[in-house]
Amino acid sequence: MKAIRKRRNCFTVLFVAGIVLATWATVKPMVATASVFGAASIASLMLLIKQSRLFYDASLICDNSILAVPSAVISMPGDKEQMNKKEVVVSSFGIMIGSKIYKWGRTGVDGVRLNTVDIDRTRIYLTFGDGTETMRIELMHGMADEQAVMDVKERLWRETGVTAIISGW
Amino acid sequence: MPAGGDGLNQLKVVNNRIFSITGFSLLFAYLLSFLFEGQVLYSMLAYHNVKDSAYILAAIVAHFVGLFSCGYLIKSPTAAKYMMLGSMGVCLIATTPFFFAPSVLWAAGLIVSGYAGGCAVASWGYFLKAFTPKNQRIKSCADVLIYSNIIMIAVNVVAINLSPFIGLILSIFCLVAGTAFIWALPAGTEEIWSEETENKRYGDIKKPLLLLCLFVFVITINSGLMYQVINPAFEHLTGLVSWYWAVPYIIALAVMRNLPMKAKRSRILYIGMAMIMGAFISFMLLGRHAPDYLVVDTLMLGACGIFDLFWWSIIGEMLDYTENPVKVFGIGLSANVLGVLGGGALGVAITSIRLSGAEVAVIALTVVCVTLVMLPPLNTQLVMLLKNHAYLAAYDRMSGMQQTDIIRQMKTLEELTVREQEVLQHILSGKSNREIAVTLSISESTVKTHARNIFSKYNVGSRAELISTLLKNQSYT
Repeated sequence: MKAIRKRRNCFTVLFVAGIVLATWATVKPMVATASVFGAASIASLMLLIKQSRLFYDASLICDNSILAVPSAVISMPGDKEQMNKKEVVVSSFGIMIGSKIYKWGRTGVDGVRLNTVDIDRTRIYLTFGDGTETMRIELMHGMADEQAVMDVKERLWRETGVTAIISGW
Repeated sequence: MPAGGDGLNQLKVVNNRIFSITGFSLLFAYLLSFLFEGQVLYSMLAYHNVKDSAYILAAIVAHFVGLFSCGYLIKSPTAAKYMMLGSMGVCLIATTPFFFAPSVLWAAGLIVSGYAGGCAVASWGYFLKAFTPKNQRIKSCADVLIYSNIIMIAVNVVAINLSPFIGLILSIFCLVAGTAFIWALPAGTEEIWSEETENKRYGDIKKPLLLLCLFVFVITINSGLMYQVINPAFEHLTGLVSWYWAVPYIIALAVMRNLPMKAKRSRILYIGMAMIMGAFISFMLLGRHAPDYLVVDTLMLGACGIFDLFWWSIIGEMLDYTENPVKVFGIGLSANVLGVLGGGALGVAITSIRLSGAEVAVIALTVVCVTLVMLPPLNTQLVMLLKNHAYLAAYDRMSGMQQTDIIRQMKTLEELTVREQEVLQHILSGKSNREIAVTLSISESTVKTHARNIFSKYNVGSRAELISTLLKNQSYT
């Protein structure tokens, strides 16, 4: 979240600086320089829009957090498992792993949806997709208390409509 | 005894409605014949060889301010009645300088009476709501427009063909008689005001009001334009214009008034659009003789009658969903005045570039087409928002079980989650996203996301459509 915010702020500064420099170059007048700064402004504006959207998604995920864990194992069908040591937030509307976001439950019946949730003693397994592609993520949940697991199950059902399957408790 | 008492009450209500319509028609006739670009005012200015544009503009701007601001000053039915009576009194005093030679009092009188006239008209919003049942408001609006225009024609004919002073006396007589009718109306129906306060819960009126103003502005911008473009071309037919000008308007109102309640309003809107385009096309193709005038004016004023009653009836409907009917009525009508001003300015701009008559008409027709294209989507949105209010009011009066039944009866593409059901309940109780967020202790963007998911599951595109679908479902069951 912090990294996304930092990047967004950087692009804001770049965009403003690009505009100022392009204006200055236009006034001078230095057409070539103005064009370069103008193009740079447009590029930074596009990146700024992208980062702002990412930041909005990240805020939404953090606002509706169900579970926060220190690391995740990501696996896609047919691919090798990847270990990720960054902070992971599971929420009603997606999962945020560091600055990477996987969204679900955001566009109603047609978009990406959370399909299944399985919780065992050490890990939580989340499967989500849109019918054409499915992704599975394993997280080390770090929960030692059964009540905490039941709370997560309850919140997941309440917010996403998915009933988590609990095994080994 | 109770039956007799009921009959007496009903008679009182009918009398109040008649008095309210008559009083307002007379006030409106004064405005139309004198203050608001009336023939009496034009004749007086011409009689004294006074350049008219500044005076007329001052009166219209003051009238706009009066209409717009009155609702902010009125907080009770009693205040509405006394504001109306006081404003009519001020109009009377401010009009008397016109019996004397032109002086600064003329300009001052027009500004003061323009403002007071605006306040008087806006205040009638309260009487329209209080003394006319909801389903009859279109008829009351049609009645006041018809009667006031008939009186205006009579006054115009006198002012143009006999004497502007007699016309002025008649205008003032209308004002005095109107004051007497309004004076006779009761003011103390405080429960109507409190009902409105209750209705405030059923969603915010600002959005429909804003949309209504835009709708009225777009419609009337064409009226202002046609005043500037078409009227000067037929100026030489003074006698015919003095009496025939508003006749098609009155006929259109009478037809609209007597249409069955089931008639589709959007279709009538399309007829009006076709008529106004036909008016501009015939203006381009025909000459400038009396029969040509009859064709152009019939199409143009007929369309104006349709449009005017159309938006007046929407304002009438909206009075039920507001905290303050004076405010909604005044602001709605101020959009009309603003539209006339905007259209007038546009007409002046078009005619001042010294193009030929046909070119001016083509430009005007283009503007008309562009504005008219905006009307159907605006109307759809407006109807949707008004339906929301109607539904939310009905929904709020239901028991918890009935509310749950309605939601259950609606088929969804996928079952709602518990959280979505909570959000839906709050949406149906008329709360805004922000209010829902506060109630459920979640962020506003979370509410928006849940709402989007709910719309998707009900296969609708917006909150308005969701409520409208529920309303349909409710009426079927």
